[in-house]
Amino acid sequence: MKIYGLFLISGLAVGSLYALGGIGLVVLRRATGFLNFAYGAIAAASAMFCWQVMAWGLPGPAAWIAAILTGVALSLLFGWFIAPGLAWREPVVKAVATLGFALIILGAVSFLWDDAARKLVLPTDKIGIRLLGVRVTMTRMIAFAASLAVVVGMVVYLEKTRVGLHMRALADNRDIAAMIGIPIVRIETIGWAISGGLAGFTGLMFGDLVRLDPTVITFMVIPAIAAAICGRLQSLPATLVGGLLIGVSEAMLTLVKPLAPLRAMAPFVIAALVILWMQRRQQLTFVTED
Amino acid sequence: MALRISFHRRFVTATVFFLFCVFVLPAIAGAIWLKVFTSAVIFALAARGASLVYAQLGLVNLAQIALVGVGGWVMLRLNYATTLPFELSLLASAAITAIVGMLLSLPAMRMRGLYLALVTLMAAGAFQILFTAFQFPNGGSGFLGVAMQSPGEMRRPFLARSDAAYLSYCVAVTALCMVLVFLHERGKAGRGWALIRQSEANAMAAGVDVTLFKVWAFTLSGFLAGTAGALLAGALRLLDSKSFPAGESILLFALAIVGGAGHWAGAVIAGILYRVVPAVLNDFGLDADLALILFGAALLHAIITAPQGIAGQILSASAFRRSAT
Amino acid sequence: MKLYQMSAIAASGWLYLGLTAGAMAAEPVCGLNNAEKASGEPILVGGINGNAPPGDFSGGTDAAAAYFACVNDNGGINGRPIEYLVENDQWNPELASQVATKLVKDHGVVALVGNGSVVSMAVNARLYVEENVMVMASACAISDCYENSNIVSTNQGPLPSGIGAMKYAIEELGTEHVACIGFNIPNNGGWACDWVAKYMESKGKKSSALLMDPASVDLNSVYLQALAEGVDSILLMLPAGPALGILQVAEEQDGRDTFKWISPTPLYDPSIPGTLGDYWDGHVFVNIELAPFDSSGNDNGNWVAVMDLYGQKGDRRDTFSQSGFLSAKFFVETLLTMDPDKIKRDSVTAAIKGISGLKSDLLCGPYYVGDFDRHMPNHAGRMVVYKGGRFEVVRACYDIESSYLDAIRQQERALNLID
Repeated sequence: MKIYGLFLISGLAVGSLYALGGIGLVVLRRATGFLNFAYGAIAAASAMFCWQVMAWGLPGPAAWIAAILTGVALSLLFGWFIAPGLAWREPVVKAVATLGFALIILGAVSFLWDDAARKLVLPTDKIGIRLLGVRVTMTRMIAFAASLAVVVGMVVYLEKTRVGLHMRALADNRDIAAMIGIPIVRIETIGWAISGGLAGFTGLMFGDLVRLDPTVITFMVIPAIAAAICGRLQSLPATLVGGLLIGVSEAMLTLVKPLAPLRAMAPFVIAALVILWMQRRQQLTFVTED
Repeated sequence: MALRISFHRRFVTATVFFLFCVFVLPAIAGAIWLKVFTSAVIFALAARGASLVYAQLGLVNLAQIALVGVGGWVMLRLNYATTLPFELSLLASAAITAIVGMLLSLPAMRMRGLYLALVTLMAAGAFQILFTAFQFPNGGSGFLGVAMQSPGEMRRPFLARSDAAYLSYCVAVTALCMVLVFLHERGKAGRGWALIRQSEANAMAAGVDVTLFKVWAFTLSGFLAGTAGALLAGALRLLDSKSFPAGESILLFALAIVGGAGHWAGAVIAGILYRVVPAVLNDFGLDADLALILFGAALLHAIITAPQGIAGQILSASAFRRSAT
Repeated sequence: MKLYQMSAIAASGWLYLGLTAGAMAAEPVCGLNNAEKASGEPILVGGINGNAPPGDFSGGTDAAAAYFACVNDNGGINGRPIEYLVENDQWNPELASQVATKLVKDHGVVALVGNGSVVSMAVNARLYVEENVMVMASACAISDCYENSNIVSTNQGPLPSGIGAMKYAIEELGTEHVACIGFNIPNNGGWACDWVAKYMESKGKKSSALLMDPASVDLNSVYLQALAEGVDSILLMLPAGPALGILQVAEEQDGRDTFKWISPTPLYDPSIPGTLGDYWDGHVFVNIELAPFDSSGNDNGNWVAVMDLYGQKGDRRDTFSQSGFLSAKFFVETLLTMDPDKIKRDSVTAAIKGISGLKSDLLCGPYYVGDFDRHMPNHAGRMVVYKGGRFEVVRACYDIESSYLDAIRQQERALNLID
């Protein structure tokens, strides 16, 4: 029994990272219609820059803020300069465009920081409590709490504030939203900034908890997308649950001997099932959206 | 009249390019470049599969490299399990991969656009894990054929044992496949695809079997990927799971668009960008990461301003522009 | 401003280097050691390393490059300088095949020295045989490297080093059941953990192989898997980076005392003590394939001197660096016995295959090549423990018992190196 507890906790820890990535993707997707494949690359750039700031000898908090600001800046760069040119294109074309941005960032980051082994250490790594036999560090608890807090915060923000209302209108129908005078550019800028900040934070967590490697962090966007798919690219709570579920299944599969080597497939299998289930009643695709 | 001349000229250009690649290129390239060009040709073939589905149906397939891996796996499996000649194994690998590609297209029956792209991305991720978990056959026993040993012998075609001959062989196979695609585009399938791309409802009203034509495109795309994978197995004589991560599928798709999705030359350009450019940078001692920056910028450029890609820009720069689309 | 700063730093670095080299380090001894620059027709020698995530195996070629530079300043190969061409395969099988072809076929190198890679040897094993070119490798990690007539490596690789670590663990730490954590690469982690399992079985002990995806991000669950297996020891059959990652997870879980921690040579790296920290003091045992970095032997001292004077700033100074130095030294000694005008690939291959009974304080046993279908001259090592911020030798040279070595012992008997 104890062993299940171990894997449950470990799975929740990994799952909250997937969820965190998924949430950042969904926030942006709702506000702007972009599914951002560059989310992982932005996270990677943020994590590497954070490491660099620490390597320059600046204090920790400066580095953490630098990471989040890097995320915001890169995200806004795309949002301001490239996204407007694509505003009226199909969702899949928008997504492919973010691939281009992802490649640019990944190339630049890998060029600036070569392959040396690096470690990102946060002071919260040293603090921890025992939970069901596993020591859970403060960093993991922060990752978990942050994913929860972001979901609650965003849901409230979208429900209660005027900007949130505008975002929801924009997500529902962009044409009508523009017609009734919603300040699209301003709303979208806020969306890019929030998502970028989340990417920076996700990168920080990934770099600390998983591995500080630009390529690894860049492609963590794939399981993050799997989590976002669980939320149909719309629902924040469902994304959170999806991410956690993926993490827990992945960890639990370790105990099922024949499937253990395949456990990393959990995100993809779960996401594929969700997609098939979502489309179960759709007979033909006369719709052009999505 | 203009169309006829244009077609004639383009046929001549393609033939001259083909003859150059079969006879001249292998003779003048240094040993390293033989290998680089062989890889480039193979991935050009794979890129053609991804670009075909995108150009004809507007569907995004982010699992093409995974399918190349499938083709390579089947090829190695057949190589160690049977004594079939290379060509038969090649066909069998292509056919089996085509079936896998077809299965991937089943979700496309009900959805399109973004979600289909995501389904293929999830498939690419899943294949990456499968390849890592089960590896590629190296002459071991059992169905998986993996032994904790050095790999056995991967046979090459009888006519193409040397690297130079194998490059010619790959070019010839690729050209045949490109012709196959061309015939599809010009034939009944191409007309069906064009109608579907404009409007599925209209296509259906016009009596086009939408499901069949979509499955057809994906199957053909899988066939090309499988052929590429089998050729790659023959080129390297062993395959490694590190060669087929999901990220590479994304990159190849991006390059297929950069090259130009609607044209065989676009796929050739994609193959060159994917394999020759990094090798050239490497040869000059430059960081191959720089190529990624270039590719990313080119992709954005292609998406925003040049939907026909590099091939399209070259074509429209020439005097004989395609007058009808 | 920036430029000015940089040149100032460069100038002070130059001064510092000059001072230390003059005052502290011994003078390197290289080749003919006559302080004359070689100026004849260059001899082309190649080297391939694998340096990309998840591991950096460039130490061997770095050290070989430094030694060759030193040889060229000291008379070269009877007047002919060595032109050393190094390529990085970036852990990419296609690239590995390309760069090897370029060196062997396009440049026509007479031999390859200092190689270290996980993918290159498997892809290129056949090429080396077909082209009759010898590879004096330094950082081999896969079976193909030790089971080929044309590759001989100065380092032991994971098989002997891992078994060596196990031998110590069974005898001194009381290991009964070990988890062998390696990459799920058949000829690397699979191969080495397989032979460790055979060794454990022969000693009446248990083992479980935990093979992980090299790209795996979740080291935590690898650690938990070991926990679920109920093992008492963990053998880290991994490059230094991922091995450190597992130790980091273990530290997070306070698992230092749950397991005995043992590792083959990759963790023996000067940068490791700084990274491990106090937590691991006295708890990480590493089998080392060559002599300790601070040992007092002539060759080790010469390695330090050569690296100080001829090494580049970013060069790794790990076991593989020592190994690359030694490969290069043996290579140069062999070439020096040849007529400088008759140094061609075929003659060099024959000369290398003729090597037998060379000695070095860096190795526990003799170094030999011979005309055999496989080579593994180095299979006896030492054991160190991480203690007080450094590594401390806990067992001097000892050999291992494994049926894998049966063919190797036969070779040694044939060359009259053992009875």
